[in-house]
Amino acid sequence: MAVNVILARMGEVTLKGLNRGRFETQLMNNLRYRLRTFGKLAIFQSQSRIWIEAKEEGNPYFEDEERAHELMTAVTQVFGIVSVSLACKFEGDINDIDANAALYVKKHLERNPSHKTFKVECKRGNKSFPMNSPMICEEVGAYILEHFECLSVDVHNPDFILQVEVREFNYVYAGKLMGHRGLPVGTAGKGMLLLSGGIDSPVAGYMMASRGMPIDAVYFHSYPYTSEQAKQKVIDLAKIVSKFSGRMNLYIVDFTKIQLDMVKNSPHDMLTIVMRRVMLQIAQKLALQSDCKCLITGESLGQVASQTLEAIAITNEVADMPILRPLIGMDKEDTIRISRDIGAFDTSILPYEDCCTIFVAKHPKTHPKHADIEEAEKNLDIEAMVKQGAGENLEIIEI
Amino acid sequence: MIYFDNSATTRPCEEVIKAVNEAMTDDKWGNPGSLHKLGYLSLNAYLKAREECASVLNCSAEELFFTSCGTESANTAITGYVKANPRKGKTVISTKTEHKCTLETLELLRKEGYDIKYVSVGRDGKPDLDELSEMMRSGVSLMCFTHVNNETGAVLPVDSIVELRKECCPDAAIYLDCVQSLGKLPVDLKKTGVDMASFSGHKIHGIKGSGLLYVRTNTRILPLIIGGGQQDGMRSGTQSLPLASSMAAAMTAAEQERDSAVERVREINRFLREELKKRGAVINSPDDALPFVLNVAFRNFQSETMLHCLEMYDIYISTVSACASRSKKVSYVLENMGIDRKVSSNSVRLSFSRYNTMDEAVRFIEAVDEIYKLYEVNVR
Repeated sequence: MAVNVILARMGEVTLKGLNRGRFETQLMNNLRYRLRTFGKLAIFQSQSRIWIEAKEEGNPYFEDEERAHELMTAVTQVFGIVSVSLACKFEGDINDIDANAALYVKKHLERNPSHKTFKVECKRGNKSFPMNSPMICEEVGAYILEHFECLSVDVHNPDFILQVEVREFNYVYAGKLMGHRGLPVGTAGKGMLLLSGGIDSPVAGYMMASRGMPIDAVYFHSYPYTSEQAKQKVIDLAKIVSKFSGRMNLYIVDFTKIQLDMVKNSPHDMLTIVMRRVMLQIAQKLALQSDCKCLITGESLGQVASQTLEAIAITNEVADMPILRPLIGMDKEDTIRISRDIGAFDTSILPYEDCCTIFVAKHPKTHPKHADIEEAEKNLDIEAMVKQGAGENLEIIEI
Repeated sequence: MIYFDNSATTRPCEEVIKAVNEAMTDDKWGNPGSLHKLGYLSLNAYLKAREECASVLNCSAEELFFTSCGTESANTAITGYVKANPRKGKTVISTKTEHKCTLETLELLRKEGYDIKYVSVGRDGKPDLDELSEMMRSGVSLMCFTHVNNETGAVLPVDSIVELRKECCPDAAIYLDCVQSLGKLPVDLKKTGVDMASFSGHKIHGIKGSGLLYVRTNTRILPLIIGGGQQDGMRSGTQSLPLASSMAAAMTAAEQERDSAVERVREINRFLREELKKRGAVINSPDDALPFVLNVAFRNFQSETMLHCLEMYDIYISTVSACASRSKKVSYVLENMGIDRKVSSNSVRLSFSRYNTMDEAVRFIEAVDEIYKLYEVNVR
C-alpha cells in the first residue's frame, strides 16, 4: 500500500567535517521540537535526507494535501533544511513504480492543470534492483506518456520533474518547497535580541537564528507612552521569530521611569543616544544572567539618527560583549522582503504608538562626540537605571 | 471608573436588561413567524416594541425595521435606495466627514459608476449650504448626511437642508444618520422630512446588535438581506424579540430623561471646555456642537499617550485617530474640517451620557493635572 511521507533535504550541515554529527543531531532535535504538535511522527535520517512519516494511521497531515502543506511549511522553517517534498512511499517492482507514478502524476495535474511537459529522474540506492536508473526513467516516462495524452516529454525545460527513488522502499514525488537553509539553531552560542515593535529587529533575530544561534529577546515597555497592545504586538513578533529560532525567553523591561528621568536630566538632542546606551546596558545585564554571549540589534547604517557610524560607535562603548547587527548593510526593501517572507511584516506595521517616536527630539545629534555623551550623562545615575531596568518589575515571558 | 467614551458604546441600563430578560423568558421566546400560540405571543410583543420605538420617533410603526446595527441600516438605506430608484439618476451627495459606514458604501457605489459628490465642510463641521444648493440644482438622487458627527458633535442644520431640497430638488431623497443624535436631540421623523434614517441601540444604553432603519412610507428601497421575507421583506431573518425589546426600552428611557440629561451634560461640557482651555488645550468641537461629544487636543500629549495615561486613573476616552509609528494618520473628520495635523494628532474624544456627573468632570480635571505633572514630555 502506498502512503504519503515527507522528504526533507539538508544543506550546509552536510558540508561539515568531523563535527557533522553534532549538527545533524541538533537539526533532528529541532525538527522534533518544531513538529511536536503534528501527531506522532517517525523522523529519521538516511544519508543527507530526512524522512518524516506518520506513526499512526489517520494522521490528517498525511491524508489531506492541504494539511500536508502545513506540516511541510513547518519543516521549511527549521534552519538547516534546504527543501521539502511530499512523496509517495511503496514497495514492489517496476510495475508498482509505474502504477504509483501514474497516480502521483494524476494528482499533480489536478493541482497544476497548466503543466504540459515533464521528465523523469531516478536515483537507485538499492543496487539489487534489476533495472538501472536510465532504464527506470525510460520505462516510467513511457508509461506516463501512454496514460496521459496531455503530457509530452521535455528534458531541458519541463514543467515538472517526476522523481523516482528506489531504496529499501520506492518513492515518487515532484516539486518541492524551499526551506530557509542556514544552520540548525543550537549549534552556535545564544544571543540577546533587542526586540522593538518595528520591522527590523524581528528580521535581525531571524537572521542570527539562521546561523544556528538560539535567541532570547528584550523589549523596553514604556506604558503609558506605549500601550498594552504595543506589548502584545512584540509578544506576537517574538512568537513569529520563535517559529524559526525555537524556545525563547522574552524579557519585558519597565522603562517608563528611566525614560522620564532621562528626559528631565539630559539634553534632548542626545536623548536617543543616551537611551540606546542605557538599553544596551540593561540588555547586556540580562544577557549575562541568561547565558547569552552577544547582543543583536536591527540597526542599519544611516537609517535614523542613532544609526550613524558616530552614534553607533558611541553606543558600542558601553557594551563588553559583541553587538551583532545583521542588517547593518542592508537596504530597507530587502529587510521588508525578509519580514514578509517570515510572516512578520503585517504584525510589524500595526499602528500602535511606540516609545521611540515620542522621545525623539526634532533635531537629534547625528554626529555625537565622546565629550557630548559625557556631558549628556553627567546628571544621570546610569548604574541605578540599569539595575532598575534589569530588576524592578521585570516580566519574563516564555515564548 | 469614569467612562467618557459613550459615543463608542454605552453600558446597558437597567430598563434594557429587564426588557431583554423578559423577552427571553415566559412565553415570549417563540419565533414571531410561527403560526402557533408561542409565535403569536412573541409576534405581539415584537410589534408592541416596534410601536414603542415609533412613538418615540413620531413615525408609523410600519416605517421602522429592526436591523443588527447602525451600519446595516446605513448600508441598506443608501444602497437600497439608489438601486430601487434608477430613474432618479446616479448622483449622490454627501460630505467627507460622514461615518465610515456611509463613506465605504458610497465608495462602493462610485466603483459601480455612481457619481458621488462631496460638499465641503467648514471649521464648524457643517456643510457649505451655498455649495450644496448648487450641487442640488444640477440633479441628485440621494443625499446622505449625519445628524450629529460622532467625532466632534457637530450638529447638521437638518431643517435648512430639507428647506433647500424643497427649493432645488424636491425629488431627491435624504438619508440621515441619527446614531449619535438619538436620545440626545429631538428626532421627530414626521416633522423633519427626511426619507430614511438609521439608529443604533448600544449608543443609548441598549445592547450591541440592535439597530433600526426608518424608511418613510412610499419610499422604495431594496433590501440588503433577503430570505424568509420577514419585516415586510425589507429585512429577512428571524425577528429577535430580545433585541427589539431592548431597543424600545433604551429609546423610551433615553427619551424620558432627555431634557434633564441634556442640561446636565451641557454643564459638564461647559466646565470641561473652560478648564481644559486654561490648561492650553485646543477645543476642536464647534461651539454649537451637541454637548455629548467634546473633541479636544491636549498640549504635548499625543492622542494615544493621553488615552493610556487616563486609563491608569480608570478613566476611559477615545482617540479618533489611529497612529502609525512612522507615518501618523490623523482623523479624517478633523482633517476635512481644516484642523491642523499637529492639533489632530493630539486630539481625543470625550463623549458623555446621561449617567455622567459633574463630580466625574471635576475628578477628570484633577487627573489631567496630575498627568501633566508626571508624564508631560516635550522634547520637540
